[in-house]
Amino acid sequence: MKIAVCIKRVPDMDVRFRIAADGTSLDETGIKFDLNDFDAWAVEAALQLKEKAGSGEVVVLSLGPTAVQETLRKALSMGADKAIHLQADKIPFDGFAIASAIAAELKDGAYDLILFGKLSPDSSNGVTGAIVAELLDLPCVTAISKLDVADGRGTAKRELEGAQEIVEFPLPAVLTIDEGLNTARYPSLKGIMAAKKKPLESKPAALGDASVNVSQLEMPPERAAGRIVGEGAGAVPELIRLLQTEAKVL
Amino acid sequence: MANIFAFAESRSGELRKVALENVTAARNLADATGGQVHALLVGAPGIAAKAAQLGAHGADVVMVCEHDAFTQYNPEATAALAADRIKAGGFRAALFNTSAQGRDLAPRVAAKLRIGLVTDVTSVELTGDALTAKHPINIGKVIATVTIAGTPAIVSLRPNTYAPVPNAKAGTIEMVAPIGDPSASRVVVKELVTGSTGKLDLAEAPVIVAGGRGLKAAENFKLVEDLADAFGNAAVGATRAVTDDGWRPHADQIGQTGRLVSPDLYVAVGISGAVQHLAGMRTSKTIVAINKDKEAPIFKVADYGIVGDVFEVMPALTAAVREARKGH
Amino acid sequence: MASGQALRVVPSEHQPPLPAELILREPLDAEAVPMDVVFVGGGPAGLAGAIELSRLINKDTEDGGTLGETQIAVLEKSSALGEHSLSGAVVNPRAFRELFPDLTDSDFPFRGPVTNERVYFMTEGRAIRIPTPPTMQNHGHFIGSLSEMVRWLGEKAEGMGVNVFTGFPVASLVMDGEQVIGVRTTPSGLGRDGKPGSGFTPPTDISARVTVLSEGTRGALAQAYMNEADITSENPQIFALGVKEIWETKKPLDAIVHTLGWPVPNDGFGGTFMYPLTPNLVAVGIVVGMDYRQTTLDVHELLQKLKTKSPFRDYLEGGEMIEWGAKTIPEGGYFGLPKRRHGEGVMIVGDSAGFVEVASLKGIHYAMQSGMFAARAIFDALKKDDVCANTMARYDALVNASYIVSDLKERRNMRLAFQNAGLYRGGIKATLMTLTKGAFPGGKIDSESDAEVSRLVTPDQPFTPDGKLTFSKLDANFKSGNATRDTIPSHLVIGKDITPEVAKLYAHMCPAGVYELGDNGRLIVNQANCIDCKATDVIGPRWTPREGESGPKYRLM
Repeated sequence: MKIAVCIKRVPDMDVRFRIAADGTSLDETGIKFDLNDFDAWAVEAALQLKEKAGSGEVVVLSLGPTAVQETLRKALSMGADKAIHLQADKIPFDGFAIASAIAAELKDGAYDLILFGKLSPDSSNGVTGAIVAELLDLPCVTAISKLDVADGRGTAKRELEGAQEIVEFPLPAVLTIDEGLNTARYPSLKGIMAAKKKPLESKPAALGDASVNVSQLEMPPERAAGRIVGEGAGAVPELIRLLQTEAKVL
Repeated sequence: MANIFAFAESRSGELRKVALENVTAARNLADATGGQVHALLVGAPGIAAKAAQLGAHGADVVMVCEHDAFTQYNPEATAALAADRIKAGGFRAALFNTSAQGRDLAPRVAAKLRIGLVTDVTSVELTGDALTAKHPINIGKVIATVTIAGTPAIVSLRPNTYAPVPNAKAGTIEMVAPIGDPSASRVVVKELVTGSTGKLDLAEAPVIVAGGRGLKAAENFKLVEDLADAFGNAAVGATRAVTDDGWRPHADQIGQTGRLVSPDLYVAVGISGAVQHLAGMRTSKTIVAINKDKEAPIFKVADYGIVGDVFEVMPALTAAVREARKGH
Repeated sequence: MASGQALRVVPSEHQPPLPAELILREPLDAEAVPMDVVFVGGGPAGLAGAIELSRLINKDTEDGGTLGETQIAVLEKSSALGEHSLSGAVVNPRAFRELFPDLTDSDFPFRGPVTNERVYFMTEGRAIRIPTPPTMQNHGHFIGSLSEMVRWLGEKAEGMGVNVFTGFPVASLVMDGEQVIGVRTTPSGLGRDGKPGSGFTPPTDISARVTVLSEGTRGALAQAYMNEADITSENPQIFALGVKEIWETKKPLDAIVHTLGWPVPNDGFGGTFMYPLTPNLVAVGIVVGMDYRQTTLDVHELLQKLKTKSPFRDYLEGGEMIEWGAKTIPEGGYFGLPKRRHGEGVMIVGDSAGFVEVASLKGIHYAMQSGMFAARAIFDALKKDDVCANTMARYDALVNASYIVSDLKERRNMRLAFQNAGLYRGGIKATLMTLTKGAFPGGKIDSESDAEVSRLVTPDQPFTPDGKLTFSKLDANFKSGNATRDTIPSHLVIGKDITPEVAKLYAHMCPAGVYELGDNGRLIVNQANCIDCKATDVIGPRWTPREGESGPKYRLM
C-alpha cells in the first residue's frame, strides 16, 4: 500500500489576527503554526492503513515556504516514511493553482491512495483534494468520517446534514478526511529522533494559473449593542414580537 | 447581460432549502445585468415535478436530468453534467452551495473547467468585468474579499446567507441528457442513512438553543430541549462548563475547544458568556439571551435579552413559540 | 466553634503529601530512549545548560576529544518553547553575555534597555512618586519577554544539536538506589476515567547518565528528589504569586514603573510593575507573597483593581489586553536554598533550586548561570566518565563561589523581614539590611512555609469586571491561550476536610479559575483551566505533571 498524504502548515487560530500592510495578507508576527488538524487525521489514517496492510510507504507532501519542512518533519515523526516539499514563497489562494502543482508531483507516483484533510481553517476553501482527483482522473470521496479498505476497494461514510452516505469506490482513489475518522497520534520521542534521519526532498512547485485572488482583507464588524427586552416571563410576548417582526426568525 | 447558472441541490427526490437560496442569489446577480437564471436539477425520474419551485423563486429555465442512477447523489455524473452545461451555456457565473453535497460537487466542476473557485461565500457581487465575493477565513476572524477573473466564475454560497425569496419566473423545463452513462460512475453512494440520530446537526441547524450552568442541574436541560422542540428546527448546544460536568456530551459543546456555529437564531439559556463561548457563537445572526444576572457578558452580544429566572421564563417562552409556530 | 473566636484556615492541614509516583524505583523500560544528559524543563536554566554543555562538547570534539556522540535532551511540557515561561521581565544580561561571548547585547532577544524608571507608593486614593530604592535600580538592564528569550535560546540549542522535545512532561524520576538513572514521561490520550482513550500514547522512559532538574518554580520532581534524598534548607522555601497581563496601549509608556503599597494589604508582601516592551506594548503585573493572611485575598482581582487607578489606568484605558498569565516565584532567598543541589546523577538548577533574589526581583540570569555551571560540572564528569555525587558536587561548588550565592546572601533576610512584620516595619528593617549589606540584623529570621501560615476567614471583596479594563478569571484564562483538552484525568490531588472556607481560599488563591465553591458548599475543580502557575501546589491541592501540550500558550510573557 503506497499512500500520499498532502498536508498544510496552518496558523494557530486561537489568536487575534492582524492584517498586514499590503491589505491582502495577514501579519504573521508572533503567530504559531502547526499541522492542520484535518491533515493530521489524514496522516493518522494513512499510518493505520499501512500498519494494517503490514507493509507499504506513506509519503507526506506539503506546498509552501521553507517553514513547511517543520510540518513535514512532524508528519515524519508521527511515522510517515518520506517527505516532499514543493517550494512556493506564498501559498496561492486559488485551489486550482495549488492542486495543479500537487497533481503534477503525484501523477507518476503509483499511489494506491492520496489523502487530504477536508479543509484548512485558514483559507477555508476545502477544494484541493477534489481538484487533484479530477486532474489525475481518480475516483474521489470527500469529507469521510469512516473508512474500510480491502481487496482494492473502499467503503467510506460521509456526514450530511441530518443524514449519512455510505459510499463505495475502487482504488486508486483520492480521499479527504473529516473529523471523527480517528484521533491523531502524538509524535513519540523515538519518532522524533527517527524523523531527523528520514528523507525530505525539496523542489520547486509547478503552480497552475491562479484566477481567484484575495483583493482585500478586513475584520468582521463588531456586533451592535443589544437591548434588554424586559424582565421575567412578562417580557416573553415582546420578545416573540421582535423575533417575528424585527429579526424575522420566527 | 449576464446569465447565471444555479445548481439546485436535492436529496431523495426533494429539493433542499439551499436550492432555493441558490436560485434567489442567482436571481439577484442576473437582475443586476438583465440576465437570466438557469437552474440545473438532477434526480431520479419524477424530479422534474420540483422544477416549479425553482421557477417560483426566480429560475427562468430549469434544466432537468432524470435517471435512475441519480436516485442518490452521483458525484461523478453530476459534476460531468454540470460542467458540460456551464460550458455550453456561456454563463457568467455558476452558483453552488457550501453544503455537504455542494462542497463535494463544486470543486469537481471547477476542475473539469480547469479554473479555480471560491467556497463558503457570504455575499457575491458582479461589478463590471469582475466578480467579487466575501469569504470568511481563519474561522471567521477575518473576511476576505475574493476576486475571480475570467468566465465562468464558480462560487459556492454558505447556507443560510441568502434567504429564499419568492420571485415567479417562467421556470421553463428543459430536459437534458446525462453525459455518458451515469450508472458507470466509479464512486457510488450505496446507501443514504437518515434519521439515525434524530437530531439536527449544530453546524446546520437554523436555530440553536444552548444551555449553561445557570440551569443548575442536568435534568433541567429538559427546558432547553422543550424550547428546541417548540421551534421544530432547532439543535441543542451547551457550554464547556456544562459538558465538563457531564450534563451533556462533549459533541454538544459550543466554543473555543468545541464547535463554531452561526445559526439564524441562537438562544442562550443560563449562559453567562465566557469569552470561549462567545467566540463560538458570536457570528449567529440573531442572539437571544436569558439570564438572571443583568451584568452577564452574554447581554453584550445579545440582540435581545430577558433578565430573569430561566425556570420562570423558559416555560413561558416555549409555550409562546409553540403558539407562534402553529400551522408550520 | 466558640463564639467570638475568629474562624481560621491553615492550608497545610488540608494539603495532601507529595504523590509517591514522582519517584520510581524500578528498572527503566527495555526500550528506553538512551540519552546521556537530560534537562527536565526547557526554560532559561535548562536551555542555557544544554547550550553550554553542547558547546563544551563540540569544542572538545574539535580538539580531538571523544565525547562527540553525547546525546543531550531537553524535555519541555508545553507544546512549544516559551509557552509556559513567564517573568516580568527586566533582565540582567550578564549570563547572556557569558553564554554567548561572540554576540553583543543587540543580538540578544531583548526588547530594549531600561532608560527611565519610576517608583510609586500607592494608597487606594493616590500614587506618590518616591525615590528608587537602591535594590530596585535597573540601569544597564534590559526589558524583555521571557517567552521570547526562551524561544530564542531554544533555536540556539537546536542549532547546536541539542534534542529539544516539546510536549513531553516528565512524570517521574527513575532511581536505582541513590542513583538517578533516567525519567519517565507522562502518558497522553487518557480519558477522564484514567483509562487509555483513542490516541493513547504510553509513557516513554529515557535513560540518562545525568538528569538536570530545570523544571522552574515549585518543581514537582525537584521537591520529590529533595524529600527522597533528605535535602533540607535553613528555612522552608516560600513563594509569591505573580499575575501579569500584556496590553496594547493607546498611550506610550516611556519608563519601567514599580509600585509598593496598595492594593497589597499592609500585612502582606508584594508590589506591582509596568514595563514597556515597546512604547505601546506594555506588561503590567502584581506579585504577592503567598504567606498572605486572608482567605479571600485574590491576586488576580488585586491586579484588576490596580489597573483602575493612576498611573496604570492612564496608560491602559482604551487599550486592549492581549495576553494574560500567572506564575509563582520562589522567594525564600539564601535561607530557602537547598543545602545541596546535586546527588548521584542529578542536579537541580534555576527556580527549582530557588535561585531568585527578591529585593531586585531577578531570577533569569541566576537560572541561566546555574544551568551553565551544571553544564561545566557535567562536562568534567563525562570527561572522567564518572557521574557519582562527588563529581556532581563541583556544580554546587561553582554556584557557591559565584555571584548567585553572594547576591542572595547579601539580601538574605530582606524578604523574611516582611513575613511577620508587614509593610511598614518590614520596610524599615529591609532598608537597614540594604544599608548594612545584609549584616543587620545578623543571624537569620526564621520562617514557616506558606502552607503553614494561618489565614483569617474573611468576606469576599466585591469585584465586577467590566470586560474592558478589568477581567474575570475565565476571560483572563482565555487570553492565556489555554486550550487544554478537557477530557483528561484531573492532575490536581485534593486533600481532606475541604470545608466551604477552604474551598473559598482555593477559589481566590487560584488566578485561573480552577477552583470554585459550588452552591452545595462543595469544591468544584475545573482542572482544564490550570495554567501551571503552581500556586495550588504551594498552599492547596497538589499539582502533578499531566498530558503534554496542556496548559497556557504564552507568546509575550
